[in-house]
Amino acid sequence: MSLRRFSTVFGRDMAHNSRRLVFWIWVALLVFFTWSLSSGVARIQSGDSSVGGTKAFITSEFAVTQILVILMTLIYGFFVSVVAGMTIIQDDEYRVGELLHSTSLQPGEYIWGKFFAVLVSSAAVLALHTFAMIICNHATPAGTTQEFRGPLEVANYIRPALIFGLPTLVFYAGLTFAVGEWTRRPILVFFLPVAALLGSIFFLWDWSPSWLDPNIDRFLMLIDPAGFRWLNETQLKVDRGVNFYNSAHVPMDGLLIANRLLFLSLGLLAVACTHWHFKASLRNVSRRAERAWKLRPAEDAVESISLAPAIQPLAGLAMSASRPGLFSGAWTVMCGELAELRSSPGLYLFVPLLIFEAVGPNMLAVGAFDTPILLTSGTFAVRTLNPLTSLVCLLLLFYTVESLWRERNTRLAAISMATPIRTGSILLGKGLANSFVGVAIMLLMFAIGCGWLLYQGKVGIEILPFLLIWGLMLIPTLLLWTSFVMATLSLTRNRFATYGIAIVVLGFTGYRQVTGKINWVGNWPLWSAVQWSDMSVIELDRLALGLNRTMALGLAMLFTVLTTRLYARRDLDAAETVNRLRPLPLLKSAVWLLPVALVPLIAGGLLWAQVDRGFQGEGPKKLQKDYWRKNLATYVDWPLPDITAIDVSVDIEPVSGRLKVVGTYALINNHEKAIAEIPVSGGLHWESPTWSFDGESVQPKNRSGLFIFTPKSPLVTGGTAKLGFEFSGNFPKGITKNGGGTNEFILPSGVVLTSFGTSFVPSLGFNQGVGIDDENKYESKEYPDDFYVGQTDSAFGSRKPYSTRVRISGPEHLQYNSVGTLRSENVKDGTRTVVWESDQPVNFFNIVAGNWEVRRGQGTAIYYHKAHGYNIESMVEALDAARKYYSEWFRPFPWQELKLSEFPALASYAQGFPTDITFSESIGFLTNNDARADASFMVTAHESAHQWWGNIITPGKGPGGNLLSEGTSHFSTMLLFEQVKGIRSRIEFAKKIEDSYAKGRSSDSERPLVKTDGSRDGDTTVTYDKTGWVLWMLMNEMGRDRMLAGIREFFEIYHANPDHPVLQDFLAVLRPHSADASAFDAFAKQWFFEVVVPEYKLSEFKKTKQGERWLVTAKIENVGTGTMPVEVAATQKERFPEAGGREPAADYREIRTTISLVAGGSAAVRLECEFEPNALVVDPDAKVLMLRRKAAIAKF
Amino acid sequence: MLKIRELVKIYPGPVAALQGVDLDVPRGMFGLLGPNGAGKTTLMRIVAGLLEPTSGRITLDGEDLTGHPEKLWPHLGYLPQDFGFFPHLSGEKMLMYLLKLKGVQAPGGLKNLCGELLERVNLTFAAKRKVKGYSGGMRQRLGIAQAIAGNPRLLIADEPTAGLDPEERLRFYRLLSELAADRTVILSTHIVEDVAVLCPSFAVIRSGRLLTVTTPSAVRNGLHGSIFEGTVQPEDYELLRQDRCVTQAFLVEGKNRVRVYQPDGAPPDGFVSVTPTLEDGYLVLMRGYATSFQSTELTGKYVTNGTSQEVSR
Repeated sequence: MSLRRFSTVFGRDMAHNSRRLVFWIWVALLVFFTWSLSSGVARIQSGDSSVGGTKAFITSEFAVTQILVILMTLIYGFFVSVVAGMTIIQDDEYRVGELLHSTSLQPGEYIWGKFFAVLVSSAAVLALHTFAMIICNHATPAGTTQEFRGPLEVANYIRPALIFGLPTLVFYAGLTFAVGEWTRRPILVFFLPVAALLGSIFFLWDWSPSWLDPNIDRFLMLIDPAGFRWLNETQLKVDRGVNFYNSAHVPMDGLLIANRLLFLSLGLLAVACTHWHFKASLRNVSRRAERAWKLRPAEDAVESISLAPAIQPLAGLAMSASRPGLFSGAWTVMCGELAELRSSPGLYLFVPLLIFEAVGPNMLAVGAFDTPILLTSGTFAVRTLNPLTSLVCLLLLFYTVESLWRERNTRLAAISMATPIRTGSILLGKGLANSFVGVAIMLLMFAIGCGWLLYQGKVGIEILPFLLIWGLMLIPTLLLWTSFVMATLSLTRNRFATYGIAIVVLGFTGYRQVTGKINWVGNWPLWSAVQWSDMSVIELDRLALGLNRTMALGLAMLFTVLTTRLYARRDLDAAETVNRLRPLPLLKSAVWLLPVALVPLIAGGLLWAQVDRGFQGEGPKKLQKDYWRKNLATYVDWPLPDITAIDVSVDIEPVSGRLKVVGTYALINNHEKAIAEIPVSGGLHWESPTWSFDGESVQPKNRSGLFIFTPKSPLVTGGTAKLGFEFSGNFPKGITKNGGGTNEFILPSGVVLTSFGTSFVPSLGFNQGVGIDDENKYESKEYPDDFYVGQTDSAFGSRKPYSTRVRISGPEHLQYNSVGTLRSENVKDGTRTVVWESDQPVNFFNIVAGNWEVRRGQGTAIYYHKAHGYNIESMVEALDAARKYYSEWFRPFPWQELKLSEFPALASYAQGFPTDITFSESIGFLTNNDARADASFMVTAHESAHQWWGNIITPGKGPGGNLLSEGTSHFSTMLLFEQVKGIRSRIEFAKKIEDSYAKGRSSDSERPLVKTDGSRDGDTTVTYDKTGWVLWMLMNEMGRDRMLAGIREFFEIYHANPDHPVLQDFLAVLRPHSADASAFDAFAKQWFFEVVVPEYKLSEFKKTKQGERWLVTAKIENVGTGTMPVEVAATQKERFPEAGGREPAADYREIRTTISLVAGGSAAVRLECEFEPNALVVDPDAKVLMLRRKAAIAKF
Repeated sequence: MLKIRELVKIYPGPVAALQGVDLDVPRGMFGLLGPNGAGKTTLMRIVAGLLEPTSGRITLDGEDLTGHPEKLWPHLGYLPQDFGFFPHLSGEKMLMYLLKLKGVQAPGGLKNLCGELLERVNLTFAAKRKVKGYSGGMRQRLGIAQAIAGNPRLLIADEPTAGLDPEERLRFYRLLSELAADRTVILSTHIVEDVAVLCPSFAVIRSGRLLTVTTPSAVRNGLHGSIFEGTVQPEDYELLRQDRCVTQAFLVEGKNRVRVYQPDGAPPDGFVSVTPTLEDGYLVLMRGYATSFQSTELTGKYVTNGTSQEVSR
């Protein structure tokens, strides 16, 4: 190899690369992203979110590594593949190959010269990116992001670039370089980055179920090109605290080194193979070619025989020509394009990959608590909409560009562009051919979807959802995207610039989407905007969807017209082009385009106005901020009277989304001081509210939505008053900002209204949750340790329970539920009127309406959509069992009936209002339950538990309060699972919430249970999951009967008690029931007053045969915190081999021992078995909460 | 009649590819002769509507085509200098595709017409073979087939015989001649023989300027009695080249067989007067020994030694 010739090739390509637009778009994109991160526009969420808390630096090696590995797949992969894959193909297109290789240039010099030019150019981009990160993070003004910036350590940037960046670059560059050289097909070059992106996002980076074998996990870490899985699984998943991440280097282990070396080697090996292949192809030594040559008949002989035929005059052919019509021409072009597409191997790779990525995750999709989802036609169509939109857009980008460029690539343009075919025909024909690909994909996916629905065997196939979602929603997106790509290519006349611009547009839209800044106007792909509900088909935001799609189609038309004008049938003159860019010609063009632009402009304008006025728009947002700012200081802890009775009448017009409310609150002052002013919060959707106080019409002071009532004389202690209100309005008011759904609504198919907000009744006092954003925020209140001593206010709802009378009227076809007992129901003139009265006092209430079937149990009833009967039996079982066992275990159920009402999947939650549980169709009605995961049972059990934990007892306001509602409900669910479904179901549920805790906790901000108030990152999982687990462990510590006896006493003390309990109160009641007070105290100290979580690690494990017996030895360490006795079992065979099996398998054998390890402690495990064990399992019955349970299993 | 007026094309650089070309192309075969880089292909691409001129005007039978090349395309047969095909289509399908794009019709149907056209360019044997397997000459013939299809009023052939063997070249000459009977055919070439054989009139272009518009007979007449041929020793050849206008020189058996242009005075010793060829005229023009061989029947504006001259009937 001649260094001089190698340098010539290398230098020439380097110079060429430095002038290529694609490189500068690449750099610009990375710099923009870097600037966004450094300026706080984009942010990695980590660390302590509290004001003044320690923040995760964006400058730490961990942060830089995390950003880089993600960008390697999202951005670098695409650009380096385009550059590397096209480098040889371009030489083909320029037809310099034969000339070059007739010189003394050796294949090795050519191949390696070109590859290193690509690699060094890409590495230069990486260097520029690294430099930009350093400048943006350390040399630009920080402003509000100062707390996210650490001191400059150059190694924090260099190490990730070298360890994670460079090998990935070599891999992408090498492999796509090889693909380009072997296939000479531009489209195939994109396969690797697309496959890597999809495979990484949908599988490699995310798929890590709790049951995954550690060896498979390690293998998956090894084969991740970016190294993100390794980083996530070994370093990020178990939160090690912000101080660690801010200061430590990313540690290198053998697996990471192997992963990096593997991809480095693969890249270089691919180039070496390319060298060999190229050398062979230059000499024509391909065996296949040789065979073909031998097999082919002597065609030249045929040619020579046919020489000198008798030539007839051309005139005899009587040829004529006329300009082809628009559609006949388009048909011709389409047929030609389809013929080329059929010969495109990329299609056969991309389409299956695309379908697999779009459909696969949905077939394996799990919902609440890892329960497999039962897909319906509608949910399948909507769940595949996002991936289908993204992937087909990428596919169309490649195929549209290559299609429009095909004539230039093949040099047919010199002929075909001088034919009389209309430009419109060319564009239409190509567009149709490419659309055919999209349609074929949709048809294939439809067939697969139908097949899956049949396989599920429960849900029927419906065509309408597919037509609605894919037809009306997706097709306009694809038309818009295709026309945009065509217009961009026609304008730039450079396909790489087009790729760059299109990827930037996709990336920018995705970035706006991820950061929550996008709205209906900007969300052209409708990413995450469309919700499906079998009960409510596109009712919410129908107007927004209509305007958005009109805008998309209008833009598609505009881009099509632009393309027709700009499409390059002839090469433009540079001087003439400059002339065309003068203001006057540009203005003329704009005026000419105006009629076409009117449709998108008008639709977009209307949509923007609707978004702005909608309930999530800027207008209402400002009103809410004003409400917060104006009233926080004065009214946040204002003493309020208690409600003793509510009487409300609600007239609902579901078709128009309107309601009219008339009602009264009976008030009493239970405070020791008189109340001079009574603040009452109203809703933004209220129109012309009128008020009365003690029967007299009054005009309260309106402080930005907080109405201040001033009684003639202050309401003295024990004094009563009656507050009357009347208003009407639309709810929700206007459209959402960007779709997605809403918690409360009035829609033709159903209604959900709650007293938590102001949707249908006023709320006493100032609502702290309204109007909070980045500007309006405050430090969470710090409570003293003894804050709970004395009377504690309730955490939610009224301080004291009250009676309710709710009259609801609306269309006859709907049924209307509320809390309490149905007192009357009549139907007149198509209007149904019902009256619900509370048979026992309640703290909050709701209205839920729908067109339902009813399934009644023992003192229970489930109101459900007629097509959603799949899990009703399981839910009735849970509801009946909950009513029965919770009554036995805790306190008898005080109300007459326990109802559960299904509502449309515009939100995924369930709420346990007294006697009336609202339950989204998406979290339990449409799931495939088995013994491993049963969301229907679980959610029903949890929400039923709220009848006791939340309604019979309402927890106190302050730290540890809400845990007595949510954590206790999870604990109750564990009890009910074991009671009704057996130990396996309880273990599976425990593992799931343990996994949820491990993933959701934030070790920096986590506080002891008694201090957890919901204000910090990770508090949700502590409130629900950890508390549920800790109570389960406490029960194991105390003994079940003692614990339940304590709980019963707790209910006895605190039900209808104005002093609302928190955890300390709960512990105080339980403690006397414990057999060993010191053990109880020790347990309570570490689990309630400290933050501890054990993490067990097994090592040095082996089994040896000793005569007829087997000896298992291992070392067990507690690398976490806390001290708990934990069982270790040597096992043979699977304990629960079948998915649906509740009992252990007959041939399962085990032997156990119990070990107690302090934090950092280790012990030797020694178990003698009479069977040959195949695994060693720590905590086989899931009795101890721990981190990384998967690492606490050793397989022999 | 195709009329070209004040045609200028400047590429970024700037490179002046055409510097004000005026030309009337009559019905029949018309040659455009010039060396490599003279601007022939640029001119042909502009006329075909594939390249926008910097300024100037082109009309065909009085219809302005400059801003509206689409008006020409239904009446155009174009064989570019550099072209390709969709590699995965067979020759027959490719031709069929192009015929449809051109809106060609024939009484026997397009499939029959395809067969006829392929037969005329001697590609019937390879009709079903994919184009990517075609040799250069076969592709050129397929290009010819599409160019002659339809009933074009204007046929432009840019370097059409490149890659053709002598027999195919003759076949093509015959096709072109037949077509030129009732339409305008422009043959752009640097091969003088093509023009000599086919074109009753032709223009010579150099460095973006038109040197002359003439006929082969006018050229030959203009050179009558001024071309001499003789043999010189290799060592004398360089001296001869400095003194005389050598039009052609061949090394035959170690000696130079040389033709010189000698309009006045005595020819070199041993040289005899011979019948001039078109190639002699072309080379005399290129080397600037003659200003033009203007035909009295043709119109054109051409530039010699920097001076514009207008010639009209």
